[in-house]
Amino acid sequence: MNWSLFFDLTVSGLTLGSLYALIALGYSLVYGILKLLNFAHGDVYMIGAFLGWYALHALGGPMNPTFTGAVVLLLMFVVAMLGCGVLGVAIERFAYRPLRNAPRIAPLISALGVSIFLQNSALLIFGASFRDYNTFDLIGVKTYNIGSLFFSVPQLLTVAAAIALMVALTLFVARSRLGKAMRSTSFDREAASMMGIDVDRVISVTFFIGSALAGAAGVMFALVFGQIYHFMGFIAGLKGFTAAVIGGIGSIPGAMIGGLIVGLAESYATGYLPQGSTFQNLYVFALLILVILIRPSGLFGRAAITKV
Amino acid sequence: MRSRRATVVAALLALGAALAVVAGAYATPNRAAAPAAQAGSDAAQVKCGKTRTIGLMAPVTGPAASLGKQQVDWAQYYLSTYNKTHKTKIKFQTEDTQLGAPTGTAEALKGAQALAGGPNVLGVVGPAGSNEIVGITKTLKDAGLAWVSGSSTRTSLTTDGTRTGYMFRSVPPDAIQGPTAANYIIKKLKYKRAYIIDDQETYSTGLADVVEQTLKAAGVTVQRDGVSQQQSDFSSLIAKIPRDTQIVYIPWQLPPKGQAFGNQMKAAGKGSIKLMGADGLFDSSFASVGSHVYDTNFPLNPKSKVIAGFKKGHGGDGEYFGAPTYAATQVVATAIDKACSNGTASRAEVRAAIRATKIPAARSLLGLAIRFNRNGDLATAHKFGLYKSNGNVFVPIPG
Repeated sequence: MNWSLFFDLTVSGLTLGSLYALIALGYSLVYGILKLLNFAHGDVYMIGAFLGWYALHALGGPMNPTFTGAVVLLLMFVVAMLGCGVLGVAIERFAYRPLRNAPRIAPLISALGVSIFLQNSALLIFGASFRDYNTFDLIGVKTYNIGSLFFSVPQLLTVAAAIALMVALTLFVARSRLGKAMRSTSFDREAASMMGIDVDRVISVTFFIGSALAGAAGVMFALVFGQIYHFMGFIAGLKGFTAAVIGGIGSIPGAMIGGLIVGLAESYATGYLPQGSTFQNLYVFALLILVILIRPSGLFGRAAITKV
Repeated sequence: MRSRRATVVAALLALGAALAVVAGAYATPNRAAAPAAQAGSDAAQVKCGKTRTIGLMAPVTGPAASLGKQQVDWAQYYLSTYNKTHKTKIKFQTEDTQLGAPTGTAEALKGAQALAGGPNVLGVVGPAGSNEIVGITKTLKDAGLAWVSGSSTRTSLTTDGTRTGYMFRSVPPDAIQGPTAANYIIKKLKYKRAYIIDDQETYSTGLADVVEQTLKAAGVTVQRDGVSQQQSDFSSLIAKIPRDTQIVYIPWQLPPKGQAFGNQMKAAGKGSIKLMGADGLFDSSFASVGSHVYDTNFPLNPKSKVIAGFKKGHGGDGEYFGAPTYAATQVVATAIDKACSNGTASRAEVRAAIRATKIPAARSLLGLAIRFNRNGDLATAHKFGLYKSNGNVFVPIPG
């Protein structure tokens, strides 16, 4: 057994999985409350990466930052998360809310439309060229190792930040008043409304949180992998969706675990399977089909109870 | 509330109807003109007038839009300098091919049909991808249009005889670039362990195949892998590359991806392994990875006035991937001028003029004279130039 390769693949898989988990959380939160597959979510993640880039350059750029690296990073996250949060709320308000009582296919089509709209708007506004984060100048390119386990600062930062955000979200949903309202709305929107919960507000908050997490994921992705472009949300969004379905869409722990499973599967497939790098998506989506066949509601999902 | 909603719906319907009318108004003449134009387009004489139309096919949107931007920028640069210095003017009819999009070559085909039906289009620059060329061949041939591609390098495109007299290219095929890279690795660097990663696109796999075969024939141990052009995370792939590898050959098309790969190699502690790209990566972003980076490209002269002028207008960025599209535009525009010498021209005359192109090296951005052989390949491109990064840009090295 080549342990060095195994550890490298594991670190890579956990990093990637953390990003997928954050994206999956957005899918899960929205689906949990609205039963809507928000296919524009991957593009919100892309917008987050661009907002982070603009914040970085507004703060002097990676070579000559106005503040220390840590402060710049923090501000990049704040800008991307706030910007994406607001964008998510706007998407819900204008593209989904008017269709809330329409047949379920209508908001789905609307979501696809928003996705293409965001993608092409990004192309129009940001241009077709790749944007370079030059993270290596800001954070440093140094690689640390513990025996055969090699990792870089951005990788460590990504995994730690993703875990912190997921724990914070779990606590928020479990313990806060708004979190309780979210759970009530998810369980029965009509009953929640009759109990005095402002459902519109709850849905807006849900979109804000889900989109903010996608924004954070966008910045993290760029910090680790260096570059962003207008089409980056497409595959990432699909993988995040896959993670959400594998974990059990609607389940927060499911999204986390699903993300890590997809990330690790992708990484191990690349490393160990024949032509794994070329066909990594084949393996990941085969895993999705397998999980759905065995557990249609995902690993942590609950089958809907139907009154007969 | 209800009346407000009704007003909004009515306004949207009215807007939609207005758009449909406007679109219809613009679409009708083309549709009406298309059959007539195609029926006799090959020999039909078009009045050249003061402004001549060239079809420009490039991935303006879609996954490869960053490449398309470079090609369109260089084509536009030629157009602007031409229009400043000539009494006659040229304009583009631009068609977006969305190279690499899930719809495959359908968009390129739609674009080709639009150009075929455009009665004033006399020649075409592009398209970018080899697969696209296979897809649009019949349409452009049936319409009598010649096209000059600035980036499709699949060798068989010009050697299988299907497009002879119609297709030309301002880039040498894989059969020339590949051996240049491989022979440098074998004879100059004298490496014995290489890793090749293609980006799963035709351009890349073709070059990778040639280099792999040549290296293996010389006894070099070669490992081969592929990675999606859409991918930015190379960490798992990099983990697979043995630490004793001497060189990684990545004939990709997107320089920022090459840069990201190089930087991630460094982050994984494998920064001492040499990297070599192809003309698709010939850009300062890839060169900035470090002085251990090699590349192959035309013998472009970065100090030429044309390149300096382009860089000045594009924030200092050379966008070198698009440079052959400048040459392709120059070829088509020159041929149209020649065919239009008596005030009218047919597509057949433009094809013949392209076939007879003779642009001396002094007037060629490519650093070599532009002439085409019988197949439509550059008759002058027998070898690619070799380059090594000085940490910022590529500088020529002896091959």
